[in-house]
Amino acid sequence: MQDLLAQIFGVSFLAIFIRSFVPLLLTALGGLFSERSGVVNIALEGLIIFGALTGAIITKQIEPALGPLSPWVGWLAGALVGGFVAWIHALLSIKYRADQVISGTAINLLALGVPPVILAALYGSSTESPKVDYGLPLWGVGELRFSPPVYFAFIAVAVIWYVVYKTPYGLRLRATGEQPGAAASMGVNVRKMRYSAVILSGVLAGTAGVFLSIGNLDSYVRNMSAGMGFIALAALIFGQWKPLGVLGATLLFGFLQALSIQLGGTDLLPPTLVSALPFVVTIIALIFTGRSAAPKAIGKPFDG
Amino acid sequence: MTYISDSRPSPVASRIALIVSGVAAAGLVLTPLAVLGRSFDGNAVLLHLSGAALNLTSDPQVRLPSSGTTVALGWVTLLFMLATLVGALRRERWFWVTGLLGFVTALAAVLLLNGVLGAESARIAADNTLRPGAKRTLRNFYGGGGMNLGLFLPMLAGLIAAGAGLSARQVWWDRLNRLRGLLVPTVAIGLAILVGAIVVLLVQPAVNGTGAALGLWGGWLAKTDLVYFVYSTLFAPITRLNPFLDSLKLATPLIFTGLSVAFAFRTGLFNVGAPGQLTMGAIGAMLVGVYAPAGLGWFLLPLSVLGAALGGAIWGAIPGLLKARFGSSEVINTIMLNYIASAIFIFLIGSETFPFLGREYNMPFKAEGFEARSEELQEGARLPTLLQLFNVGTDGATVMSLGLIFGLIAFALGRWILGRHKVKNGTLLALIAGLVIGAVTWRVGVPVQIAGSQLNASFLIALICVAAFGTLMWRTATGYALRAVGLSPKAAEYGGISVARNTILAMTFAGMFAGLAGTHYVNGGALDEYRLKGNMPANVGFDGIAVALMGQSTPVGVVAASVLFGTIDTGGIDVDLKLEKINKDIVTVLKALIVLFIAAGGFLSRRVTDPPPPQLLKAVETTGKPDAARLDVNLAKAEQGTPLPNVAQSSDAKTREGGK
Repeated sequence: MQDLLAQIFGVSFLAIFIRSFVPLLLTALGGLFSERSGVVNIALEGLIIFGALTGAIITKQIEPALGPLSPWVGWLAGALVGGFVAWIHALLSIKYRADQVISGTAINLLALGVPPVILAALYGSSTESPKVDYGLPLWGVGELRFSPPVYFAFIAVAVIWYVVYKTPYGLRLRATGEQPGAAASMGVNVRKMRYSAVILSGVLAGTAGVFLSIGNLDSYVRNMSAGMGFIALAALIFGQWKPLGVLGATLLFGFLQALSIQLGGTDLLPPTLVSALPFVVTIIALIFTGRSAAPKAIGKPFDG
Repeated sequence: MTYISDSRPSPVASRIALIVSGVAAAGLVLTPLAVLGRSFDGNAVLLHLSGAALNLTSDPQVRLPSSGTTVALGWVTLLFMLATLVGALRRERWFWVTGLLGFVTALAAVLLLNGVLGAESARIAADNTLRPGAKRTLRNFYGGGGMNLGLFLPMLAGLIAAGAGLSARQVWWDRLNRLRGLLVPTVAIGLAILVGAIVVLLVQPAVNGTGAALGLWGGWLAKTDLVYFVYSTLFAPITRLNPFLDSLKLATPLIFTGLSVAFAFRTGLFNVGAPGQLTMGAIGAMLVGVYAPAGLGWFLLPLSVLGAALGGAIWGAIPGLLKARFGSSEVINTIMLNYIASAIFIFLIGSETFPFLGREYNMPFKAEGFEARSEELQEGARLPTLLQLFNVGTDGATVMSLGLIFGLIAFALGRWILGRHKVKNGTLLALIAGLVIGAVTWRVGVPVQIAGSQLNASFLIALICVAAFGTLMWRTATGYALRAVGLSPKAAEYGGISVARNTILAMTFAGMFAGLAGTHYVNGGALDEYRLKGNMPANVGFDGIAVALMGQSTPVGVVAASVLFGTIDTGGIDVDLKLEKINKDIVTVLKALIVLFIAAGGFLSRRVTDPPPPQLLKAVETTGKPDAARLDVNLAKAEQGTPLPNVAQSSDAKTREGGK
C-alpha cells in the first residue's frame, strides 16, 4: 500500500496535476468574466477546441518562416480565434436575444463539425493535425517543466482578482451582472460591458486550448478537451463566481483529474470507471452549491 | 408586415420580391444554367445562358445533347425575373404573375432538358457497339445531368415573389400567415446553407477532370457548380426510394432523441443528456436481450424494449431529481452524466477483465474477440426489418402490404366523420375501425423494387412515441401540468401544481424517449449486428437538440426535422465518397449552423416572427386607440391555429438561474 501511494503521489503526480489544473483554471476564469456580466457561457468547451485547433494549425503553417517564434504567434492566434468565436456567442445572446444556453450549445456543436472539415481540407486527416516542430518552450526544473501558459495562469488569477474587485471595470462588470438596469442608469454601457466580458472569456478559453495543443502536446487531437469546458463551468459555480473560489474549485477538480489519470495506471480500480471520477464528483459538488449566489441577471437579455 | 390596408403589396413583401428576383436574375447570368452530364466524381459539362458549354470531364470529345431550347427558355426566364424586379421596385400589383411565369418557364426548361438527357440515355442503351461497363458509365453520366443554380434560383425566386405579391390579398395573406411558424426554421436552414456554401467555396478546390487550368470565369463557373453539386448530393435521397429508406433509417434515432429534447423544452428544461440516456437505453436493451431467460419466447422483445426505456428513464430521472431537490442545473448535470454513461459503456464492453484492489476480475459482458462488442441478442429479442414486417409476397417476391395505409386512412376518416357528428368516444371507435380495416386489407399489396434496407421496426416504435408525446402533452391532465410548469413555474406553483414533481416526471419521460433510441441500435441491428457495439454514434443525442429546435418542439415538427436531417446525413455519406477534402462532417457544421441561426431567431425582427394580434394593429390604425380591438370569434380561431412561438425566443425564464 505504501508503495502504491508513493507511486500515485510522486513528483510526476504534481506535474500531471498542474497540467490538468491549468487549463481548467484559465477556462473557469474566462467563464467568470462572461457570467459575471450576465451571459451564461456553455460554449467554453467549444472555445477551448477552437483555440487548440487554431494554435496547432497556425504554428504548423508559419513554422518554416518563423521557426521557434511560431508557437508564440500560434498562441496569439488561438486566443484571438477563441475571442472571435466568443464574439459570435455574444452577438447572438446580446444583440439577437437568443437563449444563451442554446446559443452556447450551438457553438459546441460547431466545434464538433468545423475542426474535421478544416483538418481534412488542410492535411487530409480529419482527426488530428500533424505534429509541430516547435511547441511552446518548457520552463522549470527536472520533471516540473511547464510551458508559459502555466505561469500565465498563475499571474492571471492575481490580475483578475485585482481587476474584478479593485478597478472601475470590475465594479461595472459586477454591476452589469447583478442589476443591469441600475448600472445602465449610472452610465455604464451594459452591452459593451457584456461584449468585452464574453470576448475576454473566449480569449482565456482559447489560451487554455492552446496550452492543450502546443503547450502540453504538439498537435491538435480530436476531442482533446474531453469535457474540460463543462468541468470548468461547474468549478465556476462551485467557486461561487469568485476568482479565489474558482482557484480553489479548479484545484480540487484538477486534483481529481490527475488522480484519475494516476489511478488508471495502477491495478487498484478499473481505469475506464476511474476516468468518470471527476464527473461524478462534479455532480456531487453541484448538489452543495445548487442554489448559490449566482449573478442575478445571468441568462437574461438586457433591453435598454 | 403590419396589417395591410391598401391592395398593393406591402413594402416588406415588395422588398423581398425585389431581392429574390434580383438574386435570381444575377444567378441566371453568373452561374451555370444546367449540367449536360456528370460523372460519379463530380466532373461535369456545364451549360451557360450564353449557350456556351464548359467541359470539365476528362473526355474532351464527349457528345453533347442539343440544348438550344433550354437556353432559349433560360432567356425567357431572365426576362420574367427582370419584369418581376421592376414590378417589385414600383410595388405593382401584378408582379406575382411574372414571378409565377418565371417559375413555369424555368420548370419547363428543366423538364425539357431532362427529356433531352433521357433521350441520350435511351440512345446509349440501344447502342450495341458499347461494352456494358462503358454503357453504364455513359448512362450515369447523362443521368447525372439536370438543372443547375441558373435554373434553380429563378424557380425558387419565382415562387417566393409570387407568394410575396399575393400576400396583398387578404385570403392569401391569411393562408401565408398560418405558415408563420415555419419562418424561423426556413430562414435558419437557408442561412446555414448559405454559410455552408461559402465554406465549400473556400475549402474545396473546383472539380476539374481536364487537368488544364481554368481561367477566372471558368474557375468561377466550376466553383458555383461545385456548391450546387454538394447540395444536390446532400438532398438527393429525397427523390429516390432506396436512399430515402436509408435516410429514414438514420432519422429513426433522431426522432427519439428529438422527442426527448422537445419534451424537456416543453416543460422548461434543457436536456443536453440525450447521448447518455441513449447509451444507457442501449445497455438496458442489451442486458435484457442477451441475458433474460430464453424460455420467455416472443415475450423477450417487449421486455428488451422496456429495458431500453427503463435505462434511459433512470438516466433522465437523476438530473431531474437533482434539479428538483437541490436546484442544481440540469444542463451541467446531464452533460456530466453523458461522460459517465460513456465510461460505463466502455467499461461493460471494452475489455474482458478489470482490476479491482490489485486483483483481476472477469467481465462477463464482452464477447470474444478484438472488437468492443457485447454478445449477440437472442432471436426473440430482435426487431424485424420493415421489409420483413410488411412483405406479404410469397416465394421471395417483394410485395408491400397496404394494410397499414388503409388502416390509417380509415382511422383519419372515421375520426373526422365521427368528430363532425360529435359521437362520444369517436377517437376510440375510429381506432377500432382502422385496426379492423387494416387487418382485413393486410394481404393486399403492391410489388416494389427495394434493395435490402435496414430500416427496422424501431421506426414504428418511434411513431408510437410521437403519438404518445402528442396525447400525453395535449390530451391529459399530466400534460397540462407539465406545460404549465414550462410556461411559468411560479404561476403553476400558485395553481397547485408541484414544480418539483413535474420536473422529475418530465426528465424521466425525456430520458425514456432517448433511451428507446437504443432499440434502434441494439434490437434493430442498425450497427450491422444485433448487439451493442463500440461504434454506436452517441452524438445523435446532440443532433436531437437541433431536431427539437427545428421542429419547434412539436411531435410532427420533430418527425419532419428528423427526416430532413436523416436525408442530409445519407447524402453526406455520398458527398464524402465523391469529393476529396469534403468529408461528411460538413453535415455536422450545417446542423450546428441551423441551431445557431434558430437560436438567433433567423436574425428576423421579433415583429415578424411573433407579431401582435392583427385586430389590435387594425384598431390602432383606424381609430388610434387599442380599445377598439374587440376579439372576434373567427380571429380567435385563426389565432389558435397559428403555431406556438419559437422556443429559443420565448424562454427567458428557462436558463440556468433564470428558472428559479
